[in-house]
Amino acid sequence: MTQGSWQMLPIRFHRFDDDSILLTNLVGEHFFLSEDEFLAVMDGTCSDQVLLARLRARHLIQLPGERIPVELLAVKLRTRLRRLPDSTGLHIFVVTLRCEHTCRYCQVSRQPSAKSEYDMSQDTARRALDLAFRSPSPHLKIEFQGGEPLLNFPLVRWIVAEANRLNQAHAKRLTFVIATNLALLSTEILGFCAAEGIYLSTSLDGPADLHNSNRRRPGQDSWERTVAGIRLVQERLGPDRVSALMTTTEASLGRPREIIDGYADLGLRQVFLRPISPYGFALRQRGGAGYDVSRWLAFYDAGLDHIIDLNRKGVPMVETYAAIIAKKMFTNEDPGYVDLTSPAGIGLGALVYNYDGDVYASDEGRMLAEMGDHTFRLGNVRNSDYRDILLSEELLTPLQQSLTLSAPMCNTCAFEPYCGADPVFHHATMGDFVGHKAMSSFCLRNMGVFTTILRRARDDSFTRNLFWRWAQQ
Amino acid sequence: MTHSDDQALEITFDTATVGLDALQRAAYAVAHLMSVDIAVSGDRYVCRLFPRDPAADADELAHRVRSEVIDQTLRLRIAAETGPLRNLIFALAFSQTGLADDEAAKP
Repeated sequence: MTQGSWQMLPIRFHRFDDDSILLTNLVGEHFFLSEDEFLAVMDGTCSDQVLLARLRARHLIQLPGERIPVELLAVKLRTRLRRLPDSTGLHIFVVTLRCEHTCRYCQVSRQPSAKSEYDMSQDTARRALDLAFRSPSPHLKIEFQGGEPLLNFPLVRWIVAEANRLNQAHAKRLTFVIATNLALLSTEILGFCAAEGIYLSTSLDGPADLHNSNRRRPGQDSWERTVAGIRLVQERLGPDRVSALMTTTEASLGRPREIIDGYADLGLRQVFLRPISPYGFALRQRGGAGYDVSRWLAFYDAGLDHIIDLNRKGVPMVETYAAIIAKKMFTNEDPGYVDLTSPAGIGLGALVYNYDGDVYASDEGRMLAEMGDHTFRLGNVRNSDYRDILLSEELLTPLQQSLTLSAPMCNTCAFEPYCGADPVFHHATMGDFVGHKAMSSFCLRNMGVFTTILRRARDDSFTRNLFWRWAQQ
Repeated sequence: MTHSDDQALEITFDTATVGLDALQRAAYAVAHLMSVDIAVSGDRYVCRLFPRDPAADADELAHRVRSEVIDQTLRLRIAAETGPLRNLIFALAFSQTGLADDEAAKP
């Protein structure tokens, strides 16, 4: 290419580290170049044919009049957005608020185990199922949450049977997940999960002392029960039928290796290094949060270091958040993770049916409601139909206002293709759906994670290949 | 770089070389470090910087603003040059989803 003979495609840039600039295009294809190279490309004086060829291969520049790069970008963009017309896939049933744990960071206004007035009724569940089956999504995932959903196991059993019955007419791909602390796992429940192909998702915060300090229950034996439950599910249902999530409290920050090793010892192959949520009961109690984004990022970095080292030694372990982001960075697929999509995942990615029939745009929206903020309440199963809910101002306004392609700073951010809109987070922490991105901890945290993933992939071939493998999952 | 009467840090830009849009975007992007008041005086934009941290290094803040203004100017230039292609890509992407047809079919 001769000087000035190329044309920029829509790109965004970010000053990455010393003398290194990150360029990305609309679909997240990216390239690093030096400041001098960047300026030469921008002003049309670059004569480095290898560099120009690489930029062209990544759809960052094109020859004037070329049509194919634009068409390819359009196809890739359409591929990334292809889930949109199929919303909503995840339907969360809060079958009870009762719980026998009193976790320090609990996001939900849990109720004592005996208070059955906080249970979802069969009538409410039936109406919620009717709404769920109105979704155009060919795949419905029904997730049972609480409280502790196993405290209302008869309703879980009924919903599974009823959903399977309804699905005879719909022929959707139907999956069920119970989000449970596993403390109440019984032979009967395990047999039911085996028969119905139900997945179990649990919480495991790390070693026994850390877990039991965070997740309190009578007898102080939460860790012992959770670990026994994980082993039982692995034996009876198979190793892929149980997964675990951890929540980072201040006490976790110095212990990423122990937490991850604990997962590896249990044969778990995925760990999700999650920051504490700023919602609901957790916000009110400030249960062990007490740390800022920079300390969480240091924890995350140390954890990722350890996970990569384990993989180098032949121990397969995936960090779930990095795998989600890697898919957005290194493939044309969007994993549909509700916190990292634009339009936001609220309502479109998930709907939450509370025990009392109220419908929320997300689990976090329900948690805010427990604090008296009903901004994300979309209706009630008794008097709202699917159209009322999906076209409600309570859903459309935050979706429209928070689009990253138009939000200030997001629209020019090089990380935008990897990121998402989170109107619930910004409403909860900053008082509006968009938030001020220069001061947003969501933005700071995610930019930190994107940066560490891209830097590691750029600087080390083993890590790059590992991330590519995670991206293919 | 000077200090104004109220001790705010003051830097100026030539209105012939820097756009107001870029200045405003830069002020937004550095809002976690300082607030910025922008005024026009003759052929200069006068930016008064109010640091959030009273102990913040004044030179560092001024560098940060100048650097951010240059980056925002560059971003605006890229957006202007690539805007038509961006619109074309989005138009092509959505033209085959059926969504646009559904919308057009409505009375």
